[in-house]
Amino acid sequence: MKLNKYLIISIILTLVLAIVGFVPIPVHIKHILILTLFYAYMGTAWNIMCGYAGRLSLGHSAFVAIGAYTTLILFRQIGLSPWLGMILGGVLAVGAMMLIAYPCFRFGLVGPYFTLASIAVMEIVQNLLTSMRGLTGGSLGLSLPYKATSLAAFQFDGKEPYYFIILLFWLIAVILVWKMERTRYYLEAIREDQDAAAALGISVNKNLIKAAIISAFMVGIGGAFYVQYFRYIDPASIGGFSIALNLALVAIIGGSGTIFGPTIGAAILIPLSEILRSSVGSHLPGLHLLVYGILLIITIIYLPRGVISIPGLIKARKEHKANLAMIDSGAAGGSGINE
Amino acid sequence: MSMHILLQIIVSGILLGGIYALISIGLNLIFGVIKIVNLAHGDFLMLGMYGTFFLFTLYKVNPYLSTLIIFPLFLVLGIVIFQLMIKPLLGKRETEVNTILASAGLGYVLQNLALMMWKSDFRAIETALTGKSIKIAGLMLSSTRLWAFVICVIVALVLYYILMKTKLGANIRAVSQDTDAATLMGINVNMIYTLTFAAGIGLVGIAGCIIMPIFNVYPTVGTYFNTLAFVIVVLGGLGSFTGALVGGLIIGLVETFAGVMASAELAQVFSLLLFLIILFVKPEGILGKAARV
Amino acid sequence: MSNNIILQVKNISKRFGGLQATQDVSFDVKENEILSIIGPNGAGKSTLFNLITNFYTVDTGSVLFRGEEIVGLTPDQVCIKGITRTFQIARPFPGLSISDNILVALLPKSATVAAARDQVDEILKQVNLDKKANHMGSQLTTLERKRLELGKALATNPQILMLDEVMTGLKPKEMDEMMDLIRELQKSMTIVIVEHVMRVIMAISERVIVLDHGKKIAEGTPQEITSNPEVVSAYLGRGTGNAGDK
Repeated sequence: MKLNKYLIISIILTLVLAIVGFVPIPVHIKHILILTLFYAYMGTAWNIMCGYAGRLSLGHSAFVAIGAYTTLILFRQIGLSPWLGMILGGVLAVGAMMLIAYPCFRFGLVGPYFTLASIAVMEIVQNLLTSMRGLTGGSLGLSLPYKATSLAAFQFDGKEPYYFIILLFWLIAVILVWKMERTRYYLEAIREDQDAAAALGISVNKNLIKAAIISAFMVGIGGAFYVQYFRYIDPASIGGFSIALNLALVAIIGGSGTIFGPTIGAAILIPLSEILRSSVGSHLPGLHLLVYGILLIITIIYLPRGVISIPGLIKARKEHKANLAMIDSGAAGGSGINE
Repeated sequence: MSMHILLQIIVSGILLGGIYALISIGLNLIFGVIKIVNLAHGDFLMLGMYGTFFLFTLYKVNPYLSTLIIFPLFLVLGIVIFQLMIKPLLGKRETEVNTILASAGLGYVLQNLALMMWKSDFRAIETALTGKSIKIAGLMLSSTRLWAFVICVIVALVLYYILMKTKLGANIRAVSQDTDAATLMGINVNMIYTLTFAAGIGLVGIAGCIIMPIFNVYPTVGTYFNTLAFVIVVLGGLGSFTGALVGGLIIGLVETFAGVMASAELAQVFSLLLFLIILFVKPEGILGKAARV
Repeated sequence: MSNNIILQVKNISKRFGGLQATQDVSFDVKENEILSIIGPNGAGKSTLFNLITNFYTVDTGSVLFRGEEIVGLTPDQVCIKGITRTFQIARPFPGLSISDNILVALLPKSATVAAARDQVDEILKQVNLDKKANHMGSQLTTLERKRLELGKALATNPQILMLDEVMTGLKPKEMDEMMDLIRELQKSMTIVIVEHVMRVIMAISERVIVLDHGKKIAEGTPQEITSNPEVVSAYLGRGTGNAGDK
């Protein structure tokens, strides 16, 4: 029953979003929508490894950067269509992920150690990209040579095509996570208690690596989208801590370890930051990031399961109050919760 | 390379290593005793640097003397942050992950407060020692770095004394080894945690004062030092007091050498790779069973 | 108890640094029997469990399950083969609901998630947790945790069920219930238990193996081993004597 309710909401949401793509709305609103869907997509990808499996990576931007630079460089050097370039970028991102994830899982690195390792990887990639000036333009960055609107070259004048493409990406991501039901349960068990999970027949390494591969590939492809849309990247912006933390933020504030958590998180955080930026951005640079930081702290302390858990908490509170009322009024039996 | 140049590089590396060690000592203390990761460590350093900058620029306070102001201030700051942010997360599920995330959020807050208040320009101070060097045994030593090194040694000695020779220090070490046993022995673990966290922040504040004459400050300068501090702490052995010193020296030397041979970025890559290897092979058991599954 | 040998433990040894935790231990397990492993504290009983199920790797020796070598498999592979162990201190998944705990245990051997879901209620009823299906793993009493631990083990449909000190902390009446359940389970699987509580050993074991200092010092029926002077001295010599408890 619950499944059907989600299904209906999702279908309606998707239809609404699809229709919105055709409606004439101001360009900067389209931009916000694209950015929101982008982070919803990326957060969902991050969530697979970090939310469900509980391996907190704060360095995921390494894979974003690899996907982005691969696509861009191949396009600039040999004119390879970004659609192909992004696949290659995704594969390279997976390769990089395996270099780090495999030893992590093999050596049983968990918790903050894993997180620190992920940050180290991000910085290594960032430093390498900066130092390989000939190839990547170093810290000055690299721009996308814009010719004309072309599907094959993944370049468009207007925003609509980008909107539909990222909508499609997001849809695929959400459907993928939804379909991965068995793996989701395995990952959650691994997150909760790795040894107990193994004792029940769940292969810890296999599932973790699976999650890592899917996560890295999706995020690498997302990086390619980023470069095609923004038409410029540099190591600090795309491979740095702010993107890495953004991925974590949308998932955690929305609700990590849930299908729609990251989407909700993105829907809250991205428009919020754009509003802050456009209203007071010039006087108070960085205000939106400040707000992000505060929201993160508050969420961690007071709402650890994210915004998506609010309905559940309200319901539990109502039930609790109802129980207390029943007990007060002397009703016999109660619901049997207190044994 | 001539012997003279080699010696020069080594000495520079040692001086730098001492500074790096001072920066990391606070982190080591927090990581080692409370078993949590404070990703905002570098940003507290940044705050300390800005504090020193303004004290010097506005009130002409000598940066080395400003430690007397900054240290108590940062102690209080540490206590406040501990009570508001860390304590609610301790002892619950997923403490380690949550504290990492909360501290990441805190780092963001600090960085962007600095950005909003002081803009992104690089700031530096010029003291009487700026640009001067002292010649010892035919080698040139930058005065500012030498002073920083000296202060680092003093701080290290004081800390060593407290940790090894006082009852408080014994209590702290007990808590870092086994909190349950410490509680059973009547140690107020919560108070030790608060003190340790505050001390960690206070120490990084001192570090900020000392390095302001050497480095520029800007809102995101903390990120660079943060990574550095973590590499050093893990390298030297978590919670090991001498480890932070040894780690600092190693990284100081490595960076100086690599900086001479290759580029600054590659020097960092090298340190980071070293860091990863240590993590895989011998992460040291400060987080005990939580370090490895 | 048939005479079919389902598990053969042959000369397994394990050393941890300076400590020889297990030394040259060999025994057979017959299909559908209830075999107990006892010994004073520190004798290496839980280590033996860990070695057989490959949570630790043996230094030397082999373990044959239905004639097939299982040393070197990963713990999850051992479970898939048909040997499931419980943990001495029960390990529920705290962030999952009780029914999800069971569901997770059912999944590795279910063709579809839906098929696994259908079996959850039955298992919950079997271990008397059906009323608590929606509670979280973190919200259980000690007894309920043990029941959940057992439920998860049963969900894996084991051929050999290895129970590590499942009676610890239970009241006498609860112990009786557990013993009845074990006897019921014996009809469809082989059971190996590690236990401290002698009255349980005496009541349900068909055969008993006694460990001391990592070595097997006796093997036989409950009566045989309680009258074995070596066994008695192993317990009494430590001053932690449980032998002869009622």
